[in-house]
Amino acid sequence: MTQTQIEEATELDARGLLCPMPIVKTAKAMRELEPGQVLKLIATDRGSVADVPAWASSTGNELLESHEEDGTFVFFLRKGGEVS
Amino acid sequence: MEESENGHEKLVIMVTHGPEDPELATIPFAMAGAAVASEVDVVMGFQGEGCLLMKKGVAQSVQAPEFAPLGDLVGTIRELGGKFLVCSPCLKSRHLTEADLVEGAEIVAAGRFVAEVTAADKTLVY
Repeated sequence: MTQTQIEEATELDARGLLCPMPIVKTAKAMRELEPGQVLKLIATDRGSVADVPAWASSTGNELLESHEEDGTFVFFLRKGGEVS
Repeated sequence: MEESENGHEKLVIMVTHGPEDPELATIPFAMAGAAVASEVDVVMGFQGEGCLLMKKGVAQSVQAPEFAPLGDLVGTIRELGGKFLVCSPCLKSRHLTEADLVEGAEIVAAGRFVAEVTAADKTLVY
């Protein structure tokens, strides 16, 4: 995991949520964004490390960056689709 | 997987375990939750003891370690468009009727299950 500065449009706190709720909540949160906007996801479920990239790949969204931070997993996801 | 009419892939998940096995009762819902979150159309079919999971209040009593609560998963899957089909003879043999089932559960028989499975891109059986 690498860490860079990315400006998110919104943040989703999925700490404490268990499989498969981190990606379920992510999917719902992404529906509220416009293409190109970024969601910051914070999760504690270790399964999210594999789930989030797979979810992004299968739904046309982009995982910009992810890292582990004090026992939590942080992901920056850019919503796919044509930016207007 | 191939795409269905609305452009989404279709997954059928058959559930044959009920509250007697919380883990195998919950895993199909976890898979269904991940699928609806991934824009996959999901149909869940409940047969045998699995049909008990569609009885009102039962899902809320099932908790498998390290999985999201089953009651939350049922609500989430329904909210995101998942369908619940329940085996008619399985219900009758357990003295259950439509009035006993959760909102959105549909009572069907073998022919409908066959139609759903043959129209799906993939089927999982638990």
